[in-house]
Amino acid sequence: MEGQRFWNPYTQTLPRTELDALHLRKLQALIAYAYARSPMYRKLLDRHRVKPEQIRTMGDFVERVPFIDKKEILDAQAENPPFGEALAIDPEFFLQRFATSGSTGAPLHIPLTYYSSVLWGESWVYFYWDIGLRPRHSFYFAFNWGIFAAFWSAYMGVRRLGGTVVSGGGLDSKARIQQILHYKPDVLVATPTYALYLGEVAREMGVDLHKTSISFVVVAGEPGGSIPSTRQAMEGLWGAKAYELYGIAELGPTNPGCPLQAGVHLCEDWYHALVVDEAGHVVPYGEVGEHIVTSYIQHGQPLIKYRTHDLVRWTDAPCGCGTTWLYYPGGVLGRTDHMIIVKGTNIYPSAVEALLHRVPELSEHYEIHVGRDEANDFVTVKVEARPEARALDYAGIGNRAAHVLRSTIGVGIGVEVQAPGALPRYELKAKRFFDHRPPAHRWQL
Amino acid sequence: MTREETIAHLVDLQRRVRALREASEFPAIERTMQLLEMYCHMARWELGDCVEMIPEVESL
Repeated sequence: MEGQRFWNPYTQTLPRTELDALHLRKLQALIAYAYARSPMYRKLLDRHRVKPEQIRTMGDFVERVPFIDKKEILDAQAENPPFGEALAIDPEFFLQRFATSGSTGAPLHIPLTYYSSVLWGESWVYFYWDIGLRPRHSFYFAFNWGIFAAFWSAYMGVRRLGGTVVSGGGLDSKARIQQILHYKPDVLVATPTYALYLGEVAREMGVDLHKTSISFVVVAGEPGGSIPSTRQAMEGLWGAKAYELYGIAELGPTNPGCPLQAGVHLCEDWYHALVVDEAGHVVPYGEVGEHIVTSYIQHGQPLIKYRTHDLVRWTDAPCGCGTTWLYYPGGVLGRTDHMIIVKGTNIYPSAVEALLHRVPELSEHYEIHVGRDEANDFVTVKVEARPEARALDYAGIGNRAAHVLRSTIGVGIGVEVQAPGALPRYELKAKRFFDHRPPAHRWQL
Repeated sequence: MTREETIAHLVDLQRRVRALREASEFPAIERTMQLLEMYCHMARWELGDCVEMIPEVESL
């Protein structure tokens, strides 16, 4: 078993037509389940005049089943808090309850049954296994265990794999570095922002991370692991291979990173996905749009055609890693509400980040500020220079970065180079996108 | 063992596990059989044998 390339060789190599046929059977079972058990879904489908038995083809699913957005779940939960009519199963089955931060409104409550928790873990194991992690490996969690789903599912995955968990909960960064030196784990599990921050702390402590036991950096929680420059920054700092899993708190670990490191796959055993344009029409493979996800494993609170507001490019082209599962090169390209259109050109924050790193004097610490004049959006990037760059050269470095951006993206983007340490540091997710546009000019699907 | 043979074994195992669960008067055994049934369901899904969503509502 140790040498088996895939965790589930059957489905991970199934031809697309057979995968789609399997998805249809799962979607039919899920829709029947949600309609029978979730008052919210029964009302939603009744409102759209859809009965489960009418979903006979994938076309029926795409055309007839409505999207659902976070607000509708929040509304259903608000009627009888905390879960209200969104529930499909009696709360006595719950293993654990999560919630989002509520930073953009009320927190979304996420109930997880025991079975769902096992399957959240299972969704990580495809990733762990495919990048070469095995039950003999140990995982260091630089994570404070709380009400946010965050890395809980990664922990469930290590349990399912049979690996060893080392918890870094409740510790500051220096103590975590000491723990890594003491326990000698193989894998660091963190957000990209924190993996880089922890590296800076280690450097200040005089610890050479290349000499530690860490040989894998597993990141999730924000884009970065599939952006070459950010991944290389983590790998250079830790002397380890860096891989990304893309997940969504409400849905779980939807997209294990490809072992070839340039993007993520859809975990098609437990999730179905569409990618749609602003009008809600499915875009062809190769195109960018909003990621619409259906989970087969949210038994407590089903989510069907859930709007993630994440922008992805999808493709069914064969991947060098050998799986037939859908592939998203570059991972998440941005958020639909972070979409910038300058003179008709779409700009993705992840592309800006990747291009900045072509200028070697610039660090990974940056902010994107978007404003609007009378006719157009305009973008200014604030980015820190590396310590070895001279302050006298900042203007020239900025001009070179602006040239790289203009020559690749095709529009002018201002670049302000700042001294090392000038921008704020974050311990979990970085806030890098600042939108100063009037609400009416923000791109919305 | 072929995929079809594996599925047939899993269906049989799940049926017997469920019967044992229903027959047992020991909470410890009942819970263990419940989890075992859940894993049978999971293994069947992973081999593409998808019937219903969760073992509690599945008709074998």
